Amino acid sequence: MTAPLLEVEDLRVDLRTPRGTAHVVNGLSYTVGPGETVAVVGESGSGKSVSVLALLGLLPERTATVTGRALLQGEDLLTMAPERLRRVRGPGVGMVFQDPMTSLNPVLTVGRQLTEGLRAHGPVSKAAARARAVELLGEVGLPDPGRAVDRYPHELSGGMRQRVVIAMALANSPALLVADEATTALDVTVQAQIIDLVERLQAEQGTGVIWITHDLGVVAGIADRVLVMYGGRCVEDGTVDDVLERPVHPYTRGLLGALPDLATADDADLATIPGTPPAPTDLPAGCVFWPRCPVRGDARCETEQPPLAVVGAGGGELPHRAATWCAEGEAS
Amino acid sequence: MSVLVFSLIHMVRGDPVRLALGTRYSQETYDALRERSGLDLPLVQQYLTWAGRAVTGDLGVSFRSGDTVTSLIGERLPATLTLALAALVVALVIALPLGMLSALHPRSLIDRVATVVSQIGISVPDFWLSIMLILLFAGVLGWLPSGGYVPLTEDPLGWLQRLVLPAIAVGVVSGSVITRFVRSSMLEALGQDHVRTAQAKGVPTRQVLTWHVLRNALLPLVTVTGVQLAYLLSGVVVVEIVFSWPGLGQLAYQAVRDRDFPVLQGSVLLFALVFLVINLLVDLLYSRIDPRIARR
Repeated sequence: MTAPLLEVEDLRVDLRTPRGTAHVVNGLSYTVGPGETVAVVGESGSGKSVSVLALLGLLPERTATVTGRALLQGEDLLTMAPERLRRVRGPGVGMVFQDPMTSLNPVLTVGRQLTEGLRAHGPVSKAAARARAVELLGEVGLPDPGRAVDRYPHELSGGMRQRVVIAMALANSPALLVADEATTALDVTVQAQIIDLVERLQAEQGTGVIWITHDLGVVAGIADRVLVMYGGRCVEDGTVDDVLERPVHPYTRGLLGALPDLATADDADLATIPGTPPAPTDLPAGCVFWPRCPVRGDARCETEQPPLAVVGAGGGELPHRAATWCAEGEAS
Repeated sequence: MSVLVFSLIHMVRGDPVRLALGTRYSQETYDALRERSGLDLPLVQQYLTWAGRAVTGDLGVSFRSGDTVTSLIGERLPATLTLALAALVVALVIALPLGMLSALHPRSLIDRVATVVSQIGISVPDFWLSIMLILLFAGVLGWLPSGGYVPLTEDPLGWLQRLVLPAIAVGVVSGSVITRFVRSSMLEALGQDHVRTAQAKGVPTRQVLTWHVLRNALLPLVTVTGVQLAYLLSGVVVVEIVFSWPGLGQLAYQAVRDRDFPVLQGSVLLFALVFLVINLLVDLLYSRIDPRIARR
């Protein structure tokens, strides 16, 4: 296996809130190789977004405490000097944000916001930057990019804005692309277009991708590996086949709707997981999923945190791991 | 608007004719002057005559000096404009750095100091501040003259020396109000998602602050600065009197004292007009700053 592009080790993020310290990310470790796509799935509040914002130092300094290591091409992002980190943002890591309605500056034209990113990382003439901006807008499938470049965000639809946000992240041909619910707001055809574009970039430039989503259909389509997050922890990870076809953790299985519905056998409706994710200020002592778990097949579930251990016959370079006490007995 | 101005002024007790004539006059002179000034006519008719002339730019003649009101106002307007603009400069020089620093370091020492200082600035009456400034800089230290006015063209240094104290006296209050607004609108702009987007692009911090934070914080700021400028223009009355600054405020004050109705009506109408014009300018400026308004 080639050297990983990104190597995250024991990432922890605590946020100070009026209700106490929120343990939002609790010991997350994963790697992303060049050209690889890692999908991070989980409910809202599972720490997906915070864990990637922490990598680029985009959390509010006053309230966030980030520990661990995050090596991007061997350099630790978490201890990097601010100016060096600024240079990494863009060409090193490109980030696509969730909400297209608020992630663009309302008072600057689309072109201005695109060229700004280009010009922040090297001497590019205005004309060249503009030409590149038009080209990028075309690549993300924006109709009439030559005119769109002079428009303000409020003149574009939500889907068009999202594509502008994606174009901004791609502007500096990042080594790693982080897409936080990047295509959630888009309709299926545009979504497919964006995914094609990202896959082409991966093939051409070896871009590594972290794709945060809760759309398991997209995950199946693009991911090499899947990381399931719950309560700020990775509860299961492995190849896309292992995790989606042979899920081990009760949470993953609930997420996939794969759990046998014991209570109401005749109810063929959408399977749901009752309850809500734990408050990050007040995490359970044992397995984070215990309060909502329909299995609870082990005495240690309530009191002892299960480690992320290799399960199944996987192993090798991409082991299938899950953090549960109930792996052997309950795996179907 | 003009009806309100007119009736309020005429409700003031006291007879302008009697005041103008002094203590020794005959009944005939009194009646003649009253008739000439039109004060013997019914109030409604007085109003209509005045308003009819006012729309053509004729604001009447001063009871007191016999000069036309427009020429009196014209003489005083530059002084008041100078003072108001200088005060605005003082206000912004205080408010922008202080507000920005507070917003960038909330709850820090500088933020707390700025909060206390601006609270004091808002609470202090401007006439008291004027007197204190005169006592300190003109009295104790003797650095600056205590009042008066010389035109810029005659004595630039003297003009500046006489401008400093009143400008500070007027500007401190506005500056304190604006400081608060700079802080809150900067904080709001800082917390917006697109600021994070800009940071994620690797845009240098200074540029993020100018184009993404300040640029968006500008909108509420323009509004409050406009309101403050209108306040400055009309609110300098007391300070002008303390510093014997020959502006509109002083003119209006003298007009009240002398029951010089035409002058008073003219100045009040002008103040109202200033408010309207400034509001219009603010609205026009809005569309320059915020494309969401311009292109609609």
